[in-house]
Amino acid sequence: MLSPLIWAPFLGVVLIGLYPQPLQPSRARQLALAIATLTLFWSIYVATQFNIGQSGFQMQESLPWIERLGLTYQLGVDGLSMPLMLMNSLLTWIAIYSSDAQISRPRLYYILVLVLGGAVAGAFLAQNLLLFFLFYEVELIPLYLIIAIWGGSRRGYAATKFLIYTAFSGVVILAAFFGLSFLGGSSSFDYEVLRSQVLPLSSQLILLITLLVGFGIKIPIVPLHTWLPDAHVEAPTPASVLLAGVLLKLGTYGLLRFGLGLFPDAWQVLSPWLAWLAVVSVLYGSLAAIAQTDMKKTVAYSSVGHMGYILLASAAATPLSLLGAVAQMVSHGLISALLFLLVGVVYSKTGTRDINALQGLLNPERGMPLIGSLMVAGAMASAGIPGMVGFIAEFIVYRSSFPVFPIPTLLCMVGTGLTAVYFLILINRTFFGRLPETLANLPRVRWQDRLPSAIVTVLIIALGLQPSWMLRWSEATTTALAPIVARVAWEVSVK
Amino acid sequence: MNQLLVQTSWWVPVYGLIGAVLTLPWSVGLVRRTGPRPAAYFNVLMTLLALVHSAFVLGAVWNQPPQRQIIPWLHVVDLDLSLALEISAVSVGTAMLITALSLVAQVFALGYLEKDWGIARFYALMGFFEAAMSGIALSDSLFLSYALLEMLTLSTYLLVGFWYAQPLVVTAARDAFLTKRVGDLLLLMGVVGLSTLAGSLNFTDLEAWAQTAKLAPLTATLLGLALISGPTGKCAQFPLNLWLDEAMEGPNPASILRNSVVVASGAYVLIKLQPILALSPVALNALIVLGTLTAIGASFVSIAQVDVKRSLSHSTSAYLGLVFVSVGMQQSDVALLFLFAHGISKALMFMSVGSVILTTSTQDLRELGGLASRMPATTAAFVVGAAASIALLPLGSFWAMLEWAEGLWVASFWSVGVLLLVNGMTAFNLVRVYGLMFGGKPQAKTRRAPEVPWLMAVPMVAMAVFTLLAPLLLQQCNLLPTWETMNWTAVGLLVLSSTIGCGLGGLIYLNPKWEKPVDLVGKPIRDILAYDFRMERLYQISVVLGVVQSSRLTAWFDRYVVDGLVNFMGVASIFSGESLKYTISGQSRNYLLTLFVGVLVALTALSWSLLGSPLTAIAQAFSLRAI
Amino acid sequence: MTPIMQTLYLPPSTHPLAHILDRLENGGALLPETPENLLEVVGVLKSYGVVIGAYHRNLTYVADHQFLVLFPFFKYFNGTVTFKKLLKHWWHDRINYEFAEYCMKAMFWHGGTALDAYLDSPEFSERAGKAIVAKVGGSPMSAIHSLFPDFLPEQVRLLAYYSALGQFWNVMSEMFLNLSDRYDQGEIKTIADVVDHVLQGLVAAANQPITYAVNIKGKTYDIIPESVGLKFLMDAAVPYVEAVFFRSFPFFGTVSYNAQAGQVPHEQAGFNYGVLYADPLPVGGAGIPPTLLMQDMTHYLPDYLRQFYRKGLRGEDDLRVKICLSFQKSMFCVTTAAILGLMPHPGATDLQQQQANRQYLEGWLDRLVDSRLISIQ
Repeated sequence: MLSPLIWAPFLGVVLIGLYPQPLQPSRARQLALAIATLTLFWSIYVATQFNIGQSGFQMQESLPWIERLGLTYQLGVDGLSMPLMLMNSLLTWIAIYSSDAQISRPRLYYILVLVLGGAVAGAFLAQNLLLFFLFYEVELIPLYLIIAIWGGSRRGYAATKFLIYTAFSGVVILAAFFGLSFLGGSSSFDYEVLRSQVLPLSSQLILLITLLVGFGIKIPIVPLHTWLPDAHVEAPTPASVLLAGVLLKLGTYGLLRFGLGLFPDAWQVLSPWLAWLAVVSVLYGSLAAIAQTDMKKTVAYSSVGHMGYILLASAAATPLSLLGAVAQMVSHGLISALLFLLVGVVYSKTGTRDINALQGLLNPERGMPLIGSLMVAGAMASAGIPGMVGFIAEFIVYRSSFPVFPIPTLLCMVGTGLTAVYFLILINRTFFGRLPETLANLPRVRWQDRLPSAIVTVLIIALGLQPSWMLRWSEATTTALAPIVARVAWEVSVK
Repeated sequence: MNQLLVQTSWWVPVYGLIGAVLTLPWSVGLVRRTGPRPAAYFNVLMTLLALVHSAFVLGAVWNQPPQRQIIPWLHVVDLDLSLALEISAVSVGTAMLITALSLVAQVFALGYLEKDWGIARFYALMGFFEAAMSGIALSDSLFLSYALLEMLTLSTYLLVGFWYAQPLVVTAARDAFLTKRVGDLLLLMGVVGLSTLAGSLNFTDLEAWAQTAKLAPLTATLLGLALISGPTGKCAQFPLNLWLDEAMEGPNPASILRNSVVVASGAYVLIKLQPILALSPVALNALIVLGTLTAIGASFVSIAQVDVKRSLSHSTSAYLGLVFVSVGMQQSDVALLFLFAHGISKALMFMSVGSVILTTSTQDLRELGGLASRMPATTAAFVVGAAASIALLPLGSFWAMLEWAEGLWVASFWSVGVLLLVNGMTAFNLVRVYGLMFGGKPQAKTRRAPEVPWLMAVPMVAMAVFTLLAPLLLQQCNLLPTWETMNWTAVGLLVLSSTIGCGLGGLIYLNPKWEKPVDLVGKPIRDILAYDFRMERLYQISVVLGVVQSSRLTAWFDRYVVDGLVNFMGVASIFSGESLKYTISGQSRNYLLTLFVGVLVALTALSWSLLGSPLTAIAQAFSLRAI
Repeated sequence: MTPIMQTLYLPPSTHPLAHILDRLENGGALLPETPENLLEVVGVLKSYGVVIGAYHRNLTYVADHQFLVLFPFFKYFNGTVTFKKLLKHWWHDRINYEFAEYCMKAMFWHGGTALDAYLDSPEFSERAGKAIVAKVGGSPMSAIHSLFPDFLPEQVRLLAYYSALGQFWNVMSEMFLNLSDRYDQGEIKTIADVVDHVLQGLVAAANQPITYAVNIKGKTYDIIPESVGLKFLMDAAVPYVEAVFFRSFPFFGTVSYNAQAGQVPHEQAGFNYGVLYADPLPVGGAGIPPTLLMQDMTHYLPDYLRQFYRKGLRGEDDLRVKICLSFQKSMFCVTTAAILGLMPHPGATDLQQQQANRQYLEGWLDRLVDSRLISIQ
């Protein structure tokens, strides 16, 4: 049931890899798109089979692999991974669709994108810690190569930085996993087994902090974030979409799944610190975004800020706040994907992302009015305007974190205001105003350029109007995941 | 039948949204061969439907107790966000007024924007605008009202930004959005806090909760202040008032709505929140202080304006200041009456101003003059609008102000003084504007000024007739005092203040012998008033400076400290030296690196498993010692 | 260089646009002579001819048949109202006559001509007064008329301009369509030919009288009789060039009307928002009235011009901007013809006269320094 989600992309890899020479870019694209479409449909089918009332793993699969290492091929899906898995399939499809039709070395490119999609799906579905780690590591290499080969002018630097950071993240996570296994004395890496064992608080704390560093790089939490803006700026658009849309979610997913799931007691101890870390990330990311002049950097720093909300909600760890964290993961995944897609179109048509060089792109005849309108929608969604998914996700995050961490929550809300500032600056500079002569001869924006962003926009609005379509998957799981004793600071202070 | 009508009342806002969606083929440019006017007609039609529908609902709920309608929306864990509506004569009447004004403004726009190829987008936004406002009117949920206020913020941004290629529009749209957002954000904090405290966000539940709630004074104060900041932004009250002035860059038909019902929607929510605000004396006092400051300050500022739209928009702030004071004084009925009276008269004056601008291509009072004899509908509209905004003739504002004076006669006589002052200054200013625009001799730009076409004249005349008949309507609703209960001293004082204002204004601005331009106070004071007490400087050196500087600092810190340090630490320790990091160029090298890291990872994994037991001991020892 | 040489030849001009001046003195146009320019100018003038033909018919119809009609609901129908036509009208599948009124209002508002002066004369007041009484006498409107005595006369002045611009465009429409026919027959080969064609047309019509009479209840009322002496060239063409080519109105879409910002000049003479000055890039957007004209012209482009546009980077996506660019070029040709037509000493050989001509041309170029003239070179 679940395996096809991982192996279909790898099948595609084999198919494209073995396709007789010469492989035209358009043919490679068609093949990759077909595979991604199949995977997407299969994900939707899996979703229809998903029992939303059940909190644990479903559709489990298990095959022994390397017994001596405790590595089993164990898959399962629950309310935490279900929405992310769906989003991964969707964004992989979109990434392939929005790839440059005439891309150089198409065979390698599409193989890498498919590997990326398959590996991320594997990481979301893995129920064995080592298996998770394997997929987590496998996913790095294709992204590294995509940035290094198809990236911008400083691609070497950005790719290397990305690789070093995230490989380090992987090593740290692996260390924590091994530590957990050995401290617990079991030779198994089965998530359910490990979850049932109780470690002393001190051990929990050490392991959790280790995990926090590991996943903190991926999320990223300030000050471990500096790889992200560089990677985004240099990455080609489809890679940015995947990076912001799903890869960062691996960090928060891992933190919730393994951090909170395996060390609930230590989580209680650390959570106030986490909440303040979230505040730092939100404000730092938002303020840094205001000062950027590269559109992609603005969106990248905005990611740092918005991922902070997930951290805040995770820290609060109430049934509602964990649901809010999942909602914010989906919301940020869609919105940042949209923004990167749009910036990508602007860049591909104008050749620049400098907001001081762009102006008046809303011009109906010579500019890109539809792209501009979608940009307004994306920016407003990111700034938490109701009617779009960003609002309800953030509202649940705030509403649920406020009773636990009132001051950090209020400070994080300031970040929402700052989001409006930087995106308004971006839109007003680049899309408003008069189109200058220097930008008067841009290539045509075709419907293919608009379609991916339009699809994501429709989703953003649909989920904003009907958020239960997004939340229903996760409610049972996040409720079960929340530690039983939730501290409620606010009510205490009121009394 | 009646019940059916009531149950479908949520349709009233939906019509506007449908209209907005129907414009899409034109506003996104799918239809290119023919023009965009069908989009406008669809919206006018939808608004008409909304108006008719709300009229029927009003008929059904007339003299009935308020009914609640709960539309389930989202229920997760312990959070229940249902969209509650209140169907009462007041709420449906408000929705009907909003749709009526929207209809009038839209028909007006058919003429005003007849040469504008962007009208599809304009009408989409108007539909959106109308939907959000009539939704606020019907909403019985703070959550829903908050969401709709935010949508109003968004559509204000887009409507002000309608002519996005015009440089001042760009900054005006930005400022409108950000200023309102500051208020909205504080309001959101209040909403989140209130939701935590009270559990439900329905106004009805909140009112019941407020009866028994015992909050710590600090909590109540912070909550109250957060809740009033949203309306402060929406109603353009000090210190969040500047956006309304700038928003006058937007198209005039949108200004009609903005100055009448959009600002009022903020105050409407404030009135709904009044029971909660009553928990905090500080919040109520803050309302009174802000309202008084704005009412008097904005009245002065509006007299110093040379731009006719801006002069009227500052007077809008002043009137909303009075509404703030009355809510602060817990006189919600007066506040509602004020909003109604102000809304229709201000809409009328803005229509008149719109037709002057279109005819003369200027909105500079120094360049206008002498239009009265050639533009009957426009002149009549302005005169009726002006008369209905001051307490002179028994029109809308007269009765609203009288109610105010009667309500606060004993409790707070000084506030009656504020009312008289604002009324007098408004009277002076409106006579000034009339004199400069319609009186005197024609100038170069006004010497050829034919009356506007019927699409603009008809809504104007209709609105003028409605304004004249509004007192009868109020009487039907038993909102007017009877002959015997009238406070004749208050009547005398009000009429006196209007007469003094009008008389002084007439003496200076309707008197051809008085030299124009008039210099009443000397340039330094006039400049301070003309530029809104230099509020912009205040923003610049406070909030703007703070955000800009801290963002620069963060970016600098990020680039040179965090990135620099982490890069150095991380990379230098893994690879000896910087050379690899920055000079890597060949792709083969990248592959090598990848392989290297891959192998490294695999080796680590293997070694862990092989050397498992000794490492476990070390790890355990380490962990024990560390704690 | 010796003084004798200087007396024989006019010295090179020191004007900033000297190269254009030079071209004008040697029989060229403001627009450079290239095959593409010729194709664009003739093609767009063909379409323009059709459109202003329609404008002319409507303006004339309104002036003649919608005299002081309070609710001119069918004023764009030119007299035939059918259900089908109504549906098309509502679907906005029609000529945008609003733009004709826009140009008319520009002429009306900027004024400063013999027609303008006549409209303020007692003779006009008397003639208009009679027509007004004939039209509204006995109806409720007469009460309003007595309350607002300048209301209806102002409307009659407006209608006089409807008529005047209608008459002007009638001549121009025929002239442009004729130009297109001659181009199709191979008679027009250069930009200079285009200018010459327009010049000859203007000269031929120069003394055509501008008049306006309206028929009310079977009786004809002369509003502008021939005796006033208004002529085509000086009282319609020249004011049109001034009001529409040079001044026009500031566009809502690009200029702020904010009195404190002072973006709009205080003096009407300082207005430069006309065809020769406007930036074509914003065309198609909100608040840019000429979009209406460009849209109308999209329907009547000759095939060769449409093919030419399709070859551009954005195909037909930016059709209206491209039409506007061509239209500006063509209007510079018309301006050239007007300049040459008003030249004090056409074909002068005498040095004194050449000097006078040069002064005259430099005067025009001074006004065109900030126009789009440079960008079309």
